[in-house]
Amino acid sequence: MEVLVKTWLTAVAVCFLYTCSASVAAQDTNLVTHSLARKGNSEKQDTETVHFYAWGGSAQVNSYLQWVSEQVSQQYNIRFQHVKLADTSDAVSRVLAEKAAGNHTNGSVDLIWINGENFAAMKEHELLTKNWVSSLRYFPLTNPHENTAMVTDFGESTLGMEAPWGKASLVFYYRQQHLQHLAIPPPQTIHELLDFAQRSPGRFTYPVPSDYLGITFLKYAIIALNEDRQNVFYQPVSESALKSVLPALWQYLDALHPVMWRRGETMLRQASQLQRLMGSGELSIAFSFTAAEIPSAVERFDLPKDIRTYVMHDGSLANVHFVGLTYNSSVKTAAKTVVDFLLSPKAQAQKQKLKVWGDESVLDLSLLSPSDRALFDQEGGHPSALDKSQKVKLIAEPHSSWADAIRNAWYERYGVRY
Amino acid sequence: MFTSFTVTARWLLLCILCVPVVGGFVGVVFPALGYFPAIGATQFSAQPFATLFATTGIAKMMLLSLFTGLGSTLLAFIGACCLLAWCYQTRFVEKLQALLSPFLVFPHAAAAIALLFVLSPSGFFARLFTTDNDILVTTSAHSFPHDPYGLSVLFALALKELPFILLMALGVMSQPIVAKKISGYSKVGASLGYSSVARFFLLVLPTIFPQIRLPLLAVLVFATSNVEIPLILGPNNPSTLAVAVLHWFNHIDLSMRLLGSAGAVLQVGISSAALGLFVVGERIVVVLGRALLVNGNRRLFDNAVVVTGVSIFAVYMVLIGTIMYSTFAYSVASYWVFPNLLPEDTTWLHWQTVVNAIEKPLSNTLVLGGLVSTSSVLLVLFALESQMLKPTKRVMSFVFSVSVFLPLLVPGVAFLYGLVWLQQLVLQSATWFHTYIAHMVYVVPYVYLSLAVAYRKFDARYIVVAQSLGKSPWQVFVYIKLPLMLGAILIAWALGLAISFSQYLPTLLASGGVIPTVTTEAVASASGSSTRLSAVYVIIQATLPLIGFVLAWTLPRFMFNPKQGVS
Repeated sequence: MEVLVKTWLTAVAVCFLYTCSASVAAQDTNLVTHSLARKGNSEKQDTETVHFYAWGGSAQVNSYLQWVSEQVSQQYNIRFQHVKLADTSDAVSRVLAEKAAGNHTNGSVDLIWINGENFAAMKEHELLTKNWVSSLRYFPLTNPHENTAMVTDFGESTLGMEAPWGKASLVFYYRQQHLQHLAIPPPQTIHELLDFAQRSPGRFTYPVPSDYLGITFLKYAIIALNEDRQNVFYQPVSESALKSVLPALWQYLDALHPVMWRRGETMLRQASQLQRLMGSGELSIAFSFTAAEIPSAVERFDLPKDIRTYVMHDGSLANVHFVGLTYNSSVKTAAKTVVDFLLSPKAQAQKQKLKVWGDESVLDLSLLSPSDRALFDQEGGHPSALDKSQKVKLIAEPHSSWADAIRNAWYERYGVRY
Repeated sequence: MFTSFTVTARWLLLCILCVPVVGGFVGVVFPALGYFPAIGATQFSAQPFATLFATTGIAKMMLLSLFTGLGSTLLAFIGACCLLAWCYQTRFVEKLQALLSPFLVFPHAAAAIALLFVLSPSGFFARLFTTDNDILVTTSAHSFPHDPYGLSVLFALALKELPFILLMALGVMSQPIVAKKISGYSKVGASLGYSSVARFFLLVLPTIFPQIRLPLLAVLVFATSNVEIPLILGPNNPSTLAVAVLHWFNHIDLSMRLLGSAGAVLQVGISSAALGLFVVGERIVVVLGRALLVNGNRRLFDNAVVVTGVSIFAVYMVLIGTIMYSTFAYSVASYWVFPNLLPEDTTWLHWQTVVNAIEKPLSNTLVLGGLVSTSSVLLVLFALESQMLKPTKRVMSFVFSVSVFLPLLVPGVAFLYGLVWLQQLVLQSATWFHTYIAHMVYVVPYVYLSLAVAYRKFDARYIVVAQSLGKSPWQVFVYIKLPLMLGAILIAWALGLAISFSQYLPTLLASGGVIPTVTTEAVASASGSSTRLSAVYVIIQATLPLIGFVLAWTLPRFMFNPKQGVS
């Protein structure tokens, strides 16, 4: 017996040491090929590595990116590495630190998944490569001339610094069983939402405005609550415009906060925690920017079966998310090849599949060949999925200056939460 | 020759610990004073500090940091004392050590997530105390976690720190000289009729305290500046200072980094203030304790102490049990709605998802941990040897022990961001090297702590005998010390491995995220929406350090084992 144990343990130890040394060796060869490729000494086209910095909190997104990695490795001999972030701004900080230290040519971040304010920050500090998107083979398929959303990120022109990757719009989802138990129908407007919260306190919340979904909720609320003043939101924010729309929002939130989850004392830092609390049953109603993540989360057991998705009658905020190329990437050509692949009908159709990720394609399907268009044909529906036949009133994102103004005003009124 | 080699090792050790910490701190002080050219700030000014102190809730943040830090350290220390007082003279103490050790190597982030599984309003205990008809989870603004006073954070930190303090104390108590002293004192105390609890507090604790003081202070600093636990369990209106600093550094508005740097400097102030208060408290206890020593009472709340000790032990056992159940159940759960105690069905889906994505992070974790831990052990061994061979003056040896603790005494948020800046200045593409150094900074102190105890335990008579037989210092080191201390060395190595495995912020910042490890993946998944995936990562994170410890426990049995030749 003892001999057996000993032999086994020795084997484990040897295996462990062997893996260690093998991995070290592998790392070394990687380093060597890498530096050769960078110096351009080698005549043969060596494998280049593209580092794609993207939020890593979703199994669906992660496994899609793993598929991308396999595809570009086979098709273009490019190593695609998904660097999983807990927060996209970590990557922005990283590029900034590199710029601060004068590392202008050999950055560690090549591609970055951004939109809205991270983009505005990177644009302001000139951390992105300009005018590269128009050279992509598949970019014209997004029909950018007809569809300005592909070249505008929250009212800011993208200047060819980032390529569109997917589309999103605000949907709500609820626990059927909970609402039946409470005998309240799912709220259809922002006013009915408050009514719901007041009748069953503690069952709704929204993330703090520094989170994208938190500020999205505030934008939806302020637009829905100021129905008669919609135009002001599509121009840069002004002091007087802000003053005219804020009172309705404050009146609403003052009533909502005390009946929210944990009486609004603690609010969520991140959108993903909203889904977690829906999964654990602490909340009965929540919202998301990606309709398809709901049925796919149900498929993965992260949300219970009685989840139903719908769109509010008073409108759904919609936008596009992008992939940016940093100014100091050392593998720009390979990075562009990757982005081109991401925009290809094949990759976009794969991404749109409910079972994969369910992220809506940015391609204009009418411009595709019939065979490419067929790739987008979806298999049957899901009880938790959004009913696509429902008529939806889409609300465009307000000008990006509004986000900051609303957020600052919110923090000033309700205190800083970290 | 060997002596000068070991002296070099000692200096190398000092450099590895001090250069990153001091350099990194400088890299934070400049932006705190308004100098950060990358965002166009080139004028020195006090503006960042002015903004910092004008921030709403800053006083509450500072108080929360102080309260959770001091409170948890005190609670953990008192708890450890009660446990020890209850069973320090029984054989049970060894079992206690073995049972609580896993808590030591369990990463903080994983511990916080695991606590959520059992203590949150939808967690195990809530499920236990509801009826089947309660399909709605009840939450209040003052329950676990996120309570406004930081009590959840305090409790979690104390739970995590107690085993460390306990093991440190046991390590000291088992040194031959100390053990002899303790048993002598204890006999005298017993013959004078003092109860075993009273003997512990009046005789044993004062004897061992000086040696566990520095680790205790490190725990205190760590608790005031920890990020993972308050991030997951803490309030956010406002949060502790360290969490706020983290958010300022990660803020979309890049000019917030000036504020973040000022906050990091303030964090050093808060941690120092906590140290100051602790030292003052120590003095008071010493003064009051003197009276206690001579007042002649033979018993010291004996029953209360024993009951506390037993209840703490019970709390640990209940938590360990329920956490193991909940975590494993979540990792294989299909649908599992509140308030059921059992998932509807089981699935390997979550494990598959993780297994498919873990190859690279796992090999990175093992390689990095192996390299870091092995080199730390070697470096520390040589440095300890140099102290034996060429003892330094009192002042120098004090400076040395402080610098060993420097990385634990300077809050991570206060130097890691500056360190990244420093690393970008020199050798910007050497990511592996930078990550290696960042890990060394945290691994070396613990390895040192662990090995220094073993060194002090070492019976010097063996060396004298070997030397009298004409063996050189190198021969004594290789043929006498290493084999005799193999067990201790392997334990230190395993501890180093565990510490390296659990590093989140240093790995992320120094590697720029290019070197994913199991811990970075785990924290990313904790920010995600799947409780089940987090559970899988918690299990992997908890079992990884075991690789090292299993090796450390079993290898000595058949390496340099005199019994083996006999059988």
